[in-house]
Amino acid sequence: MKSALVCQTLVLAALALVPGIGEALYFHDKISWRSSIPASEMVSVEQARAWGDSAIWVDARPDEDFAHDHVPGAFSLNEDRWNALLPQFLAAWSPSKKVVVYCSSLNCNASREVARRLRDEAQLKNVFVLEGGWEEWLKKK
Amino acid sequence: MTSATFNLKPQTSNILWRIVDLIVGGIFIYAGALKMFDPVRFASDIDNYKILPWTIGVALAFYVPWLEIFCGIALVLRFLYRGGLSILTALVLVFTLATVAAKVRGLDITCGCFGHASQHWSFPAHIATNLAILAALLALCFQAAAKRKAAH
Repeated sequence: MKSALVCQTLVLAALALVPGIGEALYFHDKISWRSSIPASEMVSVEQARAWGDSAIWVDARPDEDFAHDHVPGAFSLNEDRWNALLPQFLAAWSPSKKVVVYCSSLNCNASREVARRLRDEAQLKNVFVLEGGWEEWLKKK
Repeated sequence: MTSATFNLKPQTSNILWRIVDLIVGGIFIYAGALKMFDPVRFASDIDNYKILPWTIGVALAFYVPWLEIFCGIALVLRFLYRGGLSILTALVLVFTLATVAAKVRGLDITCGCFGHASQHWSFPAHIATNLAILAALLALCFQAAAKRKAAH
């Protein structure tokens, strides 16, 4: 009785493994197995500030957070209103600029997603995620 | 008339349980398919919980969606049924515990349950959905156990 249950569980677990491995092979060049963000795509607050006018800041937080406060000169670009906000950001962007994307804190996900979409969908280069996000920027204000 | 009434009851009950099977199975097929198409995002969602190392999160991002899909199909087709039910119940329990643990630690997590659609779910919505699905799965487990008992 119980062995039938274990057997069924193992069969399903093994079945799922096959397409899972196939998908991992298909996506091998789209995701790093070592780190969520490669070190080359992260930037500290100090380093981003040192870039001065050659950096363009992107606030990936929701509209309300951006309206409350944001890095001076930053553009709001979040996934909720991606299509509406992207054109105004692209109008200010130039190939020589480094793009610094931030969200609320170290644990938020939005900056990674916005940075990924800027690279993959808008085909931008020099896109960086701010370490520690808005919280870190406030600390080092 | 009396015999017809007696025959109708278990039949109606079977139909109702079958509908629950289809709904729960369908939910997992849908949720699995959404995550299967965007494993990079799902890996990020797993990473947000800060429970597992990134490498294991990536491995799960490729594996769990397919596990959900196959178990959902098992429920819909009633093939490998008890195995599918057990795995899905365990998965939902783990998801729920991880969500509560993340909340307790004050993490601002994204619910990856239904891909982009669930990105802005609040904590109560997230937990309520998990508990509703868990309740349905447990009910199906008990019903399957009762049916087996009656058959023997």
